[in-house]
Amino acid sequence: MNPDDLLILPGNWNFDYQYFAGETASRFFAELRDHQQILGRRCPSCERLLIPARSYCDACYVETGEWEQVGLSGTIEAFAIIQTQFPGLPEPPLAIGFVTLDGADSAILNFIRGIDLSDVDAAGERLFNEKRVSVEFSDNPQGRITDFHFVLD
Amino acid sequence: MSDPVGIIGVGQTPYRKRNSDKSAGELARTAILEALSDAGLEPDAIGAVIGGVAPDALSGIGDIDKAAIAMPGKPYIHVNTGGATGSSALLAAKTWIDAGRADVVLVVALERMGQAATAQSIFNTIFDPIYEKDFVLTTITMAALRATMLMNRDGFTGEHWAGIASRNFTQATRNPLVIGAKARSVADVLASPVLAWPIHLYEACPISEGACAVVVARGDIARSRNTAWIHGTGAFSDTYSMGDRMHRAEGSLIEMVPLRRAAQVAYRQAGVTDPLSQLDLLELQAPFAIIEAMAYPALGLCDIDANRSFVDKVITADAPIAINPSGGAQAANPVSATALVRIAEAALQVRGNAGDRQVSDARLALATGQGGATQFSTVCILGSDVP
Repeated sequence: MNPDDLLILPGNWNFDYQYFAGETASRFFAELRDHQQILGRRCPSCERLLIPARSYCDACYVETGEWEQVGLSGTIEAFAIIQTQFPGLPEPPLAIGFVTLDGADSAILNFIRGIDLSDVDAAGERLFNEKRVSVEFSDNPQGRITDFHFVLD
Repeated sequence: MSDPVGIIGVGQTPYRKRNSDKSAGELARTAILEALSDAGLEPDAIGAVIGGVAPDALSGIGDIDKAAIAMPGKPYIHVNTGGATGSSALLAAKTWIDAGRADVVLVVALERMGQAATAQSIFNTIFDPIYEKDFVLTTITMAALRATMLMNRDGFTGEHWAGIASRNFTQATRNPLVIGAKARSVADVLASPVLAWPIHLYEACPISEGACAVVVARGDIARSRNTAWIHGTGAFSDTYSMGDRMHRAEGSLIEMVPLRRAAQVAYRQAGVTDPLSQLDLLELQAPFAIIEAMAYPALGLCDIDANRSFVDKVITADAPIAINPSGGAQAANPVSATALVRIAEAALQVRGNAGDRQVSDARLALATGQGGATQFSTVCILGSDVP
């Protein structure tokens, strides 16, 4: 058959959802919104302080213990600089990074803002050399993970 | 000891961005009929069908296997381990046969992602919506995050990723199933646009549709044919969140813990103690160069502190093993099918049926599968000799 005669039908998936975060994440976000604090829970078995807060340690599969506060500075473990527009996702350029906050034993993901991303290779080199960041809180907290971001120290 | 099991038939459609001349069912049927013909069997010889499609939003049809894979009148099992779906299905087929439920099982995996207007926004939905999804996580940014971690630890540069990518794309020109394969130099890769630094466009796998089917059998049916025997398999899972995999005693996000465990189990079954000298070739499900680089130490081909020098040897073709003679997942990555394609390619090699991409005297081959943000890893070792 001539390729121009092949039938191609339009389609669309567009569903709305509400995601149930559970009690532990709900408290994590309430502390973030109301007290500008980042809290996690420690695994009684492997003794890792998990940030963001988890109700159980995935590695040991046991319930985590008491809530503990971590520092508002940390170290970049991994980063990426988004340079292309993925349809439906935030507009580039954007830097993201997994950061281990001081006192934590797992890493939390967020945007790293305030870096000149116009020369992406230079920005990448800078993030290899300057790994210390601090948390900067939003003026308008919503009780979401986007209530803060990182800035280089 | 259980009866040895092997692959007696392979069928693959071409892999290209859009196969708009075929419906999903027609695409799967093309691969299935070719695999049955290769095995010299009629559909009534099949005792069960195992397959999967994941994520199904890539095709925009929920549980598309009902239309495309499940054969009427056969037991059917749907497997979903993301990009490892095809290899997980193969392992399930072997288990089904080992359990005595059937002598012959058809494994079929289909990818229809050419129907999606955008793949990356669909891949964003595989990440945790509570803590992580807001930060533009996609398969590409996931690879970029790991790339910077690996560059930081081992001193890799963009030239290393481009070198691996160039090699895979160039090898794919010998594989007639990769439609539109183009040889690309390191300079071509580095000159292509940055998607998510440090990942360039030509380091990322293209959009690929297609179907792959293999026939798995035991006993006299397998002994009487040209069979790629299954010598060892392993499959392990890992933690959902990437951030929870950073500071662990057993290894971080870039140490590919489940792949390492799967390889150890498969090597033990296959009697492999020195993979670099005993294996003839690898087919790696590595859609990005960075994922391939991480796989080498996990598969025991080098120590972690020798990872960069091993990659240097791979790039200059001095590594003593054939890697991705098909071009690998970097050249064609039909997501649901890609891990089965790696196994199919390994099977063609040890059966001596790989055409222009045949590795001379290939007798023992290893194929990997990776799903999600490497939450799922599989290893399958195939050989020419009856185990």
